[in-house]
Amino acid sequence: MAQLTAHKRVLHADLQGDRIRAASGSMVAVEGNVDFKSAGMGGGGGMRAALKRAVAGESISLMDCTGHGRVYLALDAMDVLVVDLAGDTLTVESEHILAHTEQLRLDVQFAGLRGVTSGQGLATTTVTGHGQVALVSEGPVMALEVAPGQDLVVDPDAYVGSRGQLSMNLVSGVSWKSLVGEGSGEPFSLRFTGHGLVLVQSSER
Amino acid sequence: MPFEEVNSKVVRARVSPASPVLARRGAMLGYSGQVTFRPVHGQGRGIGGIAGAALSGESNPMMATEGQGEVLYGYKGLHVTVLELDGAAPLVCEADRLLVHDAGLQTSVQFLGSGGIKQAIGGAMTGQGLFTTNVHGRGSVALLSHGGAFPLQLNGTQVGVDPQAYVGHVGQLTVDLAARVGFRDVVGRGSGEAFQLRIGGYGTVYVQASEQKF
Repeated sequence: MAQLTAHKRVLHADLQGDRIRAASGSMVAVEGNVDFKSAGMGGGGGMRAALKRAVAGESISLMDCTGHGRVYLALDAMDVLVVDLAGDTLTVESEHILAHTEQLRLDVQFAGLRGVTSGQGLATTTVTGHGQVALVSEGPVMALEVAPGQDLVVDPDAYVGSRGQLSMNLVSGVSWKSLVGEGSGEPFSLRFTGHGLVLVQSSER
Repeated sequence: MPFEEVNSKVVRARVSPASPVLARRGAMLGYSGQVTFRPVHGQGRGIGGIAGAALSGESNPMMATEGQGEVLYGYKGLHVTVLELDGAAPLVCEADRLLVHDAGLQTSVQFLGSGGIKQAIGGAMTGQGLFTTNVHGRGSVALLSHGGAFPLQLNGTQVGVDPQAYVGHVGQLTVDLAARVGFRDVVGRGSGEAFQLRIGGYGTVYVQASEQKF
């Protein structure tokens, strides 16, 4: 069973003859005998996933790492966070995925209007199954809790992902002031209601 | 004189008349005491050094810091790693990764081509250049890296390192470029890991958490 551990800005992936998927080109060092191979257009999800990604513009480029040994993965000195999934679903922006273990399934979910206005494309990625997924972020990730009666509003550019029974809608603060250039710089935000965790990075894309 | 790490990106060097330091030009952040800065060319190796540095492109403008006091060094918000060299083996790295080192240490430029034509081609292919810098002697060195450098200890084992993430190495190590360029890379469907530095032997390799060169 492959094990992912985060050490500040570097992810250690220990492989015992099994396979993980990682962002293409993210390997910085490798010990042991590990092979790297492109996982193909759909990020390994097959033809249907490839098609959905092409339509949604949610681009992701992954490679298969197979073998025995330890792989050191890092991306542009960004902070690394490992999330353990036990059958539940993590919703995440595809550009934040650094690596995931083999048993997890990546899929594309259409986000509708929210994606268009926040400039993040039409879709987000969902990660489902049992295993570990490693995320990268500009600055450490904060996990903010959402509970019934306790809504959370975050900036779309700082949003990394979310987990739990959440519904998300776009809040617009556009008024005549923004149109004449006197806006506060926060024209759109995301409001989360329900029950779960929202991951937010300490930087805006 | 060991350098003190103020935080992950700034080091403090104690300078005395007996122990001046050499630093990257323009990397001084602040100082206290009676300290003077003087540009040095060719990293203190005379006319031959200047010519060598100019030819090789491994010329990193350095300055000597002399006097009595404490100096803070940092550069462009990059992470700093302090290494203590015991004189047993030189530190091999790119010249532009040197932030500050004891003036007692000798730097020299090594032509990779002396390792054979294969190695020379390797240097040119990976953007490492045909030259690297060797730092000899006993003393402290502060190295720059994007995202912090982490050490990998080798005891007769072998590691593969991304050429862009390679920072430097100390010890009895052999560095070899391994290219695994297949059909998939040519058509743009490669894994992005076509080139690897295969490093084997006894020593320590420093790798940064990013593929950004500077």
